[in-house]
Amino acid sequence: MENTAVITINALIKRFPVGGDFFTALKDVDLTLGTGEFTGLVGPSGSGKTTLLNIIGGLDSPSEGQVSVLGQSLNDTSHKERALLRRKHMGFIFQSYNLLPVYTVFENVELPLILNKIDSEERDKRVAQAIDWVGLSDKRDSRPAMLSGGECQRTAIARAIVHQPELVLADEPTANLDAENSHHIMKILVQLNEELSTSFIFATHDEKIMAYLRRIIHLDDGQIIKDEKIENPEASA
Amino acid sequence: MLFKIALKNLLGARLRTFLNVLVTAFSFFLILFMSAMYNGMLQHAKQVTMDTEIAGGAYWHPEYDPLDPMTFEDAHSAPPTAVQALVDEKKAFPVLVSQASIYPGGRIMPAIMKGILPGQNIVNMPTDALSRHEDIAIPVLIGKGMASDTKLEVGDAFTIRWLDADRTYDADEGTVVHIMDTENFKLDMGHIWIPLNKAQTMLAMEGEATYVTYEKGLPTVQDKGDWLSRDINYLVQDMEAIIEADKPGAQVMYMIILALAAMGIFNAQVLSIFRRGREIGTLMAIGMTRPRVVGLFTLEGGLNAVLSAAATFIFFGPILWYFGAYGIPLPMDYSEMGMIVAKRLIPVYTIGLVASTTILVSITVLIVSYIPSRRIARMKPTDALRGKALA
Repeated sequence: MENTAVITINALIKRFPVGGDFFTALKDVDLTLGTGEFTGLVGPSGSGKTTLLNIIGGLDSPSEGQVSVLGQSLNDTSHKERALLRRKHMGFIFQSYNLLPVYTVFENVELPLILNKIDSEERDKRVAQAIDWVGLSDKRDSRPAMLSGGECQRTAIARAIVHQPELVLADEPTANLDAENSHHIMKILVQLNEELSTSFIFATHDEKIMAYLRRIIHLDDGQIIKDEKIENPEASA
Repeated sequence: MLFKIALKNLLGARLRTFLNVLVTAFSFFLILFMSAMYNGMLQHAKQVTMDTEIAGGAYWHPEYDPLDPMTFEDAHSAPPTAVQALVDEKKAFPVLVSQASIYPGGRIMPAIMKGILPGQNIVNMPTDALSRHEDIAIPVLIGKGMASDTKLEVGDAFTIRWLDADRTYDADEGTVVHIMDTENFKLDMGHIWIPLNKAQTMLAMEGEATYVTYEKGLPTVQDKGDWLSRDINYLVQDMEAIIEADKPGAQVMYMIILALAAMGIFNAQVLSIFRRGREIGTLMAIGMTRPRVVGLFTLEGGLNAVLSAAATFIFFGPILWYFGAYGIPLPMDYSEMGMIVAKRLIPVYTIGLVASTTILVSITVLIVSYIPSRRIARMKPTDALRGKALA
């Protein structure tokens, strides 16, 4: 499934100002990810997983080095160009779901399509399909406050995939979920990966997720210490 | 697209939106109401002045200056022929003005004595009360304020002293035949009104007048001699100046209310943005550009203004209508303060007032929505996603 490079990172360094000094969150990171990969960035807290994910998503900028995502260099793109890249080609899944509380499940999932100016009829069709994918058809008019944690995360997944992006970035997507919900969520994501060839990158230290990954990139202290490919993951869809 | 999202955000936020809208609507109501009261006061004062004093305008003797009593002595002559013709056709009435001293209860008081045609029906004054009193030496009509100052009642007699055309002082006894209740203090305070023919005889100015007031809708006569034509705009300018003098006070109140409304909305918007940091981060993460985020929040503020205008109509409309229809009773008599203010003031809502207030409040709301929204543009998406507050 993996062929052309979705992400290419060369000599990436990320520093954050701390007081009068700098903290180096990522050091000399080199990485290439191909289409359809199901990859995890794994490591302890503070190892740089989320920072790397944010840079790949164009939410943060590298201090040094080259980052190219979906053929577009993020080093010399404006905020607007990065926003457009995210809008059209990326999906995000967050640990705390980040659903808009005043919207229903349907409206939350619909939002990326509205931003992409998809017409109303097509939106309805795609949102219904995405909600069906994650098994929330009976909750389409519920607000996030009325949903369980698992249902909220499934809504967030539907929102991340409704516009059929090439790349989905998931930051600790199961951290707030119990084991049963975690497995359910991961099975949905594996299925999406296989059926839509969507590339997934997870930032996680959850063992349950690792069992599904086909590539695990170990990070520690801002550096890649191990990059392993797993031919037959323990768990599968 | 932004409109759809902004509307969803507003309607979805329910209580927060309701409170924001209610505060703005209340400010809207106060501004509208205060301005309408001011309009009502101005319009009422103009209307009362035109109704009781000015009618369609007047022709003045060239020496006449109502603000300078010293001019009264020389401000009299027979009206020009064309003006007199209006009087003969009962389309105008003459008034003869002179200084006088009155002695109510033995106290001396200066007064302006005006001789007026008792049968006139051009201005709303009860001058007919001056007729039918052949047994009384000088029938006198005074206002309530004057009666209060002089402690005179109907039937009371008092001495009037005046300087006639021959520059001779003369005196006689006047008797109060009627006390009029007028909102126009200029007819009341310091004034005594007597029949015109009596005044002309007393002053030895037969057939003469100081000014002639004509009915509404008449064109200016061509042959007015050296008499001066004074139209409505000229005659109301003093009264307008008095009201204008009060305008800064009204404007300060107006600005205070507007500032309170603006601060309320500004606080609500800032609080909203601080509380919605994560939401803003999410919107950025799914591809909303920074200017669009700013636009979204500003638009929410704009929609807030629109909803507020609707809420003002729904919640406060009946109150505005009630006051507009029945007026507001005022607790005191302002005539003693030299103001023509109705005892029951009726606010006047004009299309211009409603439109200008709506535009002003809307612009204010947009500005106070835009300022905190603009700060969002400086926020890093990663900080916003963490719900980090704006610095």
